[in-house]
Amino acid sequence: MGGLSLGRLAFLSLVVAIFAFVIAPLLTIVWVSFFSEKILAFPPTGYTVTWYARASEMADFYNGFVMSLKVGVCATLASLAIGVPAALAIERFPFPGRETIRQVLLSPMYVPAIVAGAAVYIYFIELEILTTFQLAATFSGLVIAHTLVALPWTLRLVCASLVSANTVSEEAARSLGANALQTFFYVTLPIIRPGMIAAAMFSFIASFSDLEKSLFLVGPGKTTLPIAILNYLEWSLDPTIAAVATVQILIIGTALIVSDRFVKLGKVF
Amino acid sequence: MAGVTLNNIRKTYGTLPAVDDVSLDIRDGELLALLGPSGCGKTTTLRMIAGFVAPTSGTVKFGERDVTRLPVHKRNVGMVFQGYALFPHLTVAKNVEFGLRVRGWDKPKIAARVIEMLRWVQMESMAERSPRALSGGQQQRVALARAMANHPDVLLLDEPFSALDAKLRTQMRTEIRELQRQAGITSVFVTHDQEEAMAIADRIGVMSHGKLEQLGSAEDLYKRPVSRFVAGFIGKCNFIEGRVTGPGRFEATNGSMLQFTGAHAGGAAALCFRPEHAVLTQSGTPGNSMPVTVKAVTYLGPVTEYDLVSEAGDRLLVSASSSGEGAPKEGDKLSVDWRIGDAFVVD
Amino acid sequence: MSAGGMREDRNWGGSALVLPALVLVAAFLLAPLALILRYSFDKYDPVKLMLGVFSPGNYVLAVADPFYQKVLTTTAGIAALSTVIVMLLAFPVAYYISRLESQRLRGWLIILTMLPLLLGNAVRSAAWMIVMGTKGVANSMMLGAGLIEEPIKILYTQTAVVIALVSVLLPFAIITLQSVMDSIPTSLEEAGQSLGHSPLRTVFGVVLPLAMPGVVAAAAISFALAMNAYATPVLIGGPTIKMMGPAVYDQIAKANNWPFGSTLACILMLATLLLTVLSTRFLSRKYF
Repeated sequence: MGGLSLGRLAFLSLVVAIFAFVIAPLLTIVWVSFFSEKILAFPPTGYTVTWYARASEMADFYNGFVMSLKVGVCATLASLAIGVPAALAIERFPFPGRETIRQVLLSPMYVPAIVAGAAVYIYFIELEILTTFQLAATFSGLVIAHTLVALPWTLRLVCASLVSANTVSEEAARSLGANALQTFFYVTLPIIRPGMIAAAMFSFIASFSDLEKSLFLVGPGKTTLPIAILNYLEWSLDPTIAAVATVQILIIGTALIVSDRFVKLGKVF
Repeated sequence: MAGVTLNNIRKTYGTLPAVDDVSLDIRDGELLALLGPSGCGKTTTLRMIAGFVAPTSGTVKFGERDVTRLPVHKRNVGMVFQGYALFPHLTVAKNVEFGLRVRGWDKPKIAARVIEMLRWVQMESMAERSPRALSGGQQQRVALARAMANHPDVLLLDEPFSALDAKLRTQMRTEIRELQRQAGITSVFVTHDQEEAMAIADRIGVMSHGKLEQLGSAEDLYKRPVSRFVAGFIGKCNFIEGRVTGPGRFEATNGSMLQFTGAHAGGAAALCFRPEHAVLTQSGTPGNSMPVTVKAVTYLGPVTEYDLVSEAGDRLLVSASSSGEGAPKEGDKLSVDWRIGDAFVVD
Repeated sequence: MSAGGMREDRNWGGSALVLPALVLVAAFLLAPLALILRYSFDKYDPVKLMLGVFSPGNYVLAVADPFYQKVLTTTAGIAALSTVIVMLLAFPVAYYISRLESQRLRGWLIILTMLPLLLGNAVRSAAWMIVMGTKGVANSMMLGAGLIEEPIKILYTQTAVVIALVSVLLPFAIITLQSVMDSIPTSLEEAGQSLGHSPLRTVFGVVLPLAMPGVVAAAAISFALAMNAYATPVLIGGPTIKMMGPAVYDQIAKANNWPFGSTLACILMLATLLLTVLSTRFLSRKYF
């Protein structure tokens, strides 16, 4: 499209400016996390890494981090455990109502987080009143809610993997005498492994960064990292919270980069 | 309207030259084909004429106008793309009208021109149709009408027939040729199909690895190719390896001394002749024959092809009108004979 | 749609694999939603929490009460403004990414675009607070450059909420638009240019009309996301700016008024549903 004309230069500047707008807040957080003064002033007087150490000592952040990690791992495993079979059923076994079921399973993505959080909370309480089985303010309740958040990602990514995987290999395996289970383990599973890894990453990310549902469902004295950040922010703004946020950025950024190795992200969305 | 001149056009991507020092003079009103295998640089050259690719060095001129630095939309070219690129959200008529909108013409003038163009390609009954409802040949006609509506200086076609099936190809290429002649517009088209190029182009530019190997009429290229590539690319050709030892004298690798017409500097070369210019005989004339063994006989109807191998290992081909009895058979040891006037030498 | 040897006979065993997921979603999402739909028609009682009646009183309150009218109009207004700005910014970026030839650069830019999205609203809001606060980056830089004499109030205004929401919505819009533009062949733009339209004119005359379904879909999604926002209005808007998301939380978790909270939630749900259906319809409308 020709060389670097004035028009093209203006266009590129616009694009760069918009990207800067998208990225700037994140870079600001990382930058601020190293400021030496607790009261934020720009430009900063100096830099330090003490806030990271301080943050890890603060009970809220430490517990929140651990909780988010635990819930994240459990939700990821649960979402894979039910999501992979579901994806298989949808893509490999055509049954009536297949598309409707697919939309139903993807629906958590379309329900506003705040609405789902409120609904699940009310539901859990009512369930407890009815059956004395407590789910609100419990770890399991939180995991269930997070699994719901993670499921659509797993479904989408594994389905996409199954669709692009050639069923010819599976047919060849069957013709050579493998039964359904063997075909799955020796042929299908290796083929969808990249999709599964990406699904695991995204499930973890979705769970780790969830705020609205967790707000309703954490028990007294318990918290997740996003909630801890939110609570802190309602009172003050200083390098400590920036350090905590930076840690979250690093974790999620890493998970994204790992996913990209396995599934070209451009094709997922 | 005027001709197109390319002067020492070069396009490099990194260190690879896609087009390497090509100079070309396209005459006003002629239909020139850029022919070559994929990757030879013909499409890049076409896109440099259009303006989608800026040459690394060299100039492009439309007549006296130097357009090298001009962006596409200011060059006044008409282009027919490989997939026709009709705008799917516009009707046929609005497609043809598209280029006219920027000209500041008034509505009646635009409408009249659109009808005129559609009539010219015999598509006026389809004016309100959507491009998706058209067949390949119809889409191509609309694409042509759209490109020509603008009174372009040059018409460019990028592999225009490759998306059509064989029968339609032959039909459309004659049609397009007719329309181009009527309009008298300087045109360049790109193709990898030599039969197509030979059938409709006034002249053909054969390209290989970014270089223009030879520019000439179909007959020039067939009878007097200047390089081994051109000789082998256009039609079928026999090559006997050896060296030129003197004017008109050629020594084959097996030692036979052969004669040829035309000039050639000494050195390693190949003596060439076309399969239909040779015959199989019992004993050959010295100087323009070679002993061979028949390896295979392929009956093709009007013509029979004989696959031969010489003592030196050259694979040769002779094609002759199918005759009845006495035709050579597999294993026969014969001589292949050609007229000295039909033999030429390339590097 | 793939076919294979296992499918000739309806393999009920295989399709049963979908059951655990289905049960989870039905039991823990659909059932709760049905529940709050029911409660939205109930009446709040400070002692018994709910009276067990069936009346549309809450819905009437939500639209007739001036306070909640303001909540609705503030939410809709901010969402609409954010959506318009997002679409204007997302279009050039999506076009750029879509027309990039280097696959590597494309991959990196897509990750870069997605990253802020996946951080979660708390972290992103924190970032904006740092930028927009009275002692934040923006004010400090403007004071330092002598552009202003006193820090100006950016945080806790509607403008701040719009800016922060735009940064939340941009990634979704960019990704949606970019994948729509990928399906528009560049040869169409080249054709437009060969016919005399400048590159800019070609984008408006060829790319935009063809990308319109994607534009509508992205706008619908953006509006829905803006409408449902929680952390951004709370942290960036502060107590004076009242939007639907925080209102739902306040009613249910703080005031224990489940019926009314459910009403507000259902209004959000309904609007989101309509917008999602709209956007899916438009995304499936293709020219190619």
